[in-house]
Amino acid sequence: MNSLRAAVLAGALVAATGSLAPAAAELSTEVPSVGQLQELPGVSRTRVVYETPEVRLVRADGERVSLARELDDGRPVLLNFIFTTCSSVCPLASQTFAQFRDRLGTQVSGVHLMSISIDPEQDTPARLREYARKYHAGPEWQYYTGSLDASLAVQRAFDVYRGDKMSHTAVTLMRAAPGKPWLRIEGFVTPDDLVRDYRSLLAAR
Amino acid sequence: MQTHAGRTMPPTLVLFLLLAGAAAGASAQAEPAGEALYRDGVLPSGAVLSGVREGNARISGSDAACVSCHRRSGLGSTEGRITIPPITGPYLYRPADERIDDQEVPYVGTSRVAHQAYNDETLARAIRTGVGADGRPLSYLMPRYELDDASMAQLIAYLKGMTPRHVPGVTDTVLHFATIITPDADPARRAGTLAVLDKYFLDKNAAARAVAPRLYATRPMHFRVNRKWQLHVWELSGAPQTWEAQLRKRLAAEPVFAVISGVGGATWEPVHRFCEEQGVPCLFPNIDAPPGNDGDFYSLYFSRQVLLEAQLIAEQIGERRDAGPLRVVQVFRSGDVGEQAAGELRAAGAQSGVTFENRVLRSTGSAEELRKSVSQLHGADALVLWLRPQDLAWLPPSPPHTSLVWMSGVMGGLEGAPLPVSWRAATRMTYPFDLPERRRVRVDYAMGWFRIRQVPLPALQVQADTYLACGLLSETLNHMVDTFERDYLIERIEQDLDHRVLTGYYPRLTLAAGQRFASKGGYVVRFSEPQGPKLATLSEWLTPEASRLSASAR
Repeated sequence: MNSLRAAVLAGALVAATGSLAPAAAELSTEVPSVGQLQELPGVSRTRVVYETPEVRLVRADGERVSLARELDDGRPVLLNFIFTTCSSVCPLASQTFAQFRDRLGTQVSGVHLMSISIDPEQDTPARLREYARKYHAGPEWQYYTGSLDASLAVQRAFDVYRGDKMSHTAVTLMRAAPGKPWLRIEGFVTPDDLVRDYRSLLAAR
Repeated sequence: MQTHAGRTMPPTLVLFLLLAGAAAGASAQAEPAGEALYRDGVLPSGAVLSGVREGNARISGSDAACVSCHRRSGLGSTEGRITIPPITGPYLYRPADERIDDQEVPYVGTSRVAHQAYNDETLARAIRTGVGADGRPLSYLMPRYELDDASMAQLIAYLKGMTPRHVPGVTDTVLHFATIITPDADPARRAGTLAVLDKYFLDKNAAARAVAPRLYATRPMHFRVNRKWQLHVWELSGAPQTWEAQLRKRLAAEPVFAVISGVGGATWEPVHRFCEEQGVPCLFPNIDAPPGNDGDFYSLYFSRQVLLEAQLIAEQIGERRDAGPLRVVQVFRSGDVGEQAAGELRAAGAQSGVTFENRVLRSTGSAEELRKSVSQLHGADALVLWLRPQDLAWLPPSPPHTSLVWMSGVMGGLEGAPLPVSWRAATRMTYPFDLPERRRVRVDYAMGWFRIRQVPLPALQVQADTYLACGLLSETLNHMVDTFERDYLIERIEQDLDHRVLTGYYPRLTLAAGQRFASKGGYVVRFSEPQGPKLATLSEWLTPEASRLSASAR
């Protein structure tokens, strides 16, 4: 499953790896976020087109679902990758999602947050539900597991697969509507910046 | 007498350390209040620890506890591109350039994060305000904590107490390990496991001996690459309730760094408890029904084995719930692990329309008793066999009166199970390993090693697991360089296991903080021919619950 990238990443040209890549290349901007601390690599943003893979996942409520249908349910979507026994990166990523959600206030009903497990064999639906409770995830925020192959297919399609769960990095993906390019945010983005990104993405829709 | 880092100690200190006893891990002398704060996020007052991250994100309790990032050892961790630095006393209070030459501060990869030396005041400031010793802000990941002076003093005392000290079982020249054998261990597995361990340790030491020339240096060196491995075989005797006392005695007499492999029978509970209470890593013993859960720390297991099989069977029974009422008849021998498996299945499979019946065989029984136990079955019954090979061979030659028959592959001998011909096509076998043709390459590597060293193979799967356990221990110790901390050993295995390519009988192994069973699933298979070991798969690799539709989704 080739992810079709047509993106410029911090000035370096990343060539499209497939023939179907739409001419959606946009210039990315490296935006050092306010209050970002020196030790961590800065947050970088790119616009990327990904082909959604044909994958069935198991949602935390136990329902078997199609990834494409979950992504294309009509709402703008934010996507991240977590595992429930992850000690530092994922709790922060989940917390950022939770704060993003809180900052949206009443507009939260118009957004879909999706967290996909990269340790699906351990992260059973029950464990995901328990994890979701910690962040008070409501109908706006759903967690997914499934077979290992399914999880890998999604990770590869969105270019977040780093060999194993311990090597993963913080990536947040955001898309205004089906068919639009994704905004790919690498690094630890602050909830405020995420809200700003989200608003400008919707404004440009 | 020398510390693990190689510095000679004054005799009085040596005596003190010996008196400090076998449990002289990093936390043994620590302040209990500081420990509760560090590990559980509980303040001395009993209130929960609370912290704030960038953007005013509040975390509290166990989520805010130091242990979640800096780990139990205090030596930090790495995740992707993130490095969590060590925060034990020496790493915080000594400047980096001094640390490099200090024999008491072992090298850990996470210590690459450079910082100026802290004192109590700057450390308290860092914890409260997120400003480091050099006046620069700490990492984005580090919360700022609201701690009163008393709590702060407890925490700092705890961090200072996490200093390297004499670790039992580690000398300048020898690493001591034990393996534990319970009196009810299967003799073939016992012999097979010990044969692999003996040869592995022999191999390890032969390599060390080959580096004959003595090495000299003008100053003490950090790393001693040629410590010999010594194995202590702890054979237990008598009733299980006496095992813990026996183990404590053995540990005091023969201090070991860790327990590697081992063989158990019906219960491993006392050994598991011993490892948790004494803080001794117990790595991948060969037992069919591992006790404990993901919340424990020191015991790691390859798989939940028969307990996992019980869950796999429960899920399949769950999928048939629409087919009308079902009676699940479970046959097991009193005193064997089948009893625990049957209990697990009953708990996992409890639902309306399903009833359970146990048919318990005496601990030493006859073929006649067994045959009776599988009679009086009807079409609406499911039969589950928690039986060893000898019992399977005693099954009646006529096929069972139900099409729903499951058996434990772990107990029955996998593809070597001596099922009567008429049972072979009808019986579904749970198989919590990779399939024979898929694991071939990985197991062949062990097989070649066994063959070259003429290791007899009375219990192949268990021996492959033993060899795998030894390899993981050896590899992890290499990664640890000379940082012999028991907690760190466990943390490194959690961290590195995902990378392991040769995973023996298992398709993959993964652990993490709060994961104690490395392989999480299994297949359902049946024999595909009247004779021989050929299997047909009836399912994909299943992980219980991940693949199950929950009740709420129906």
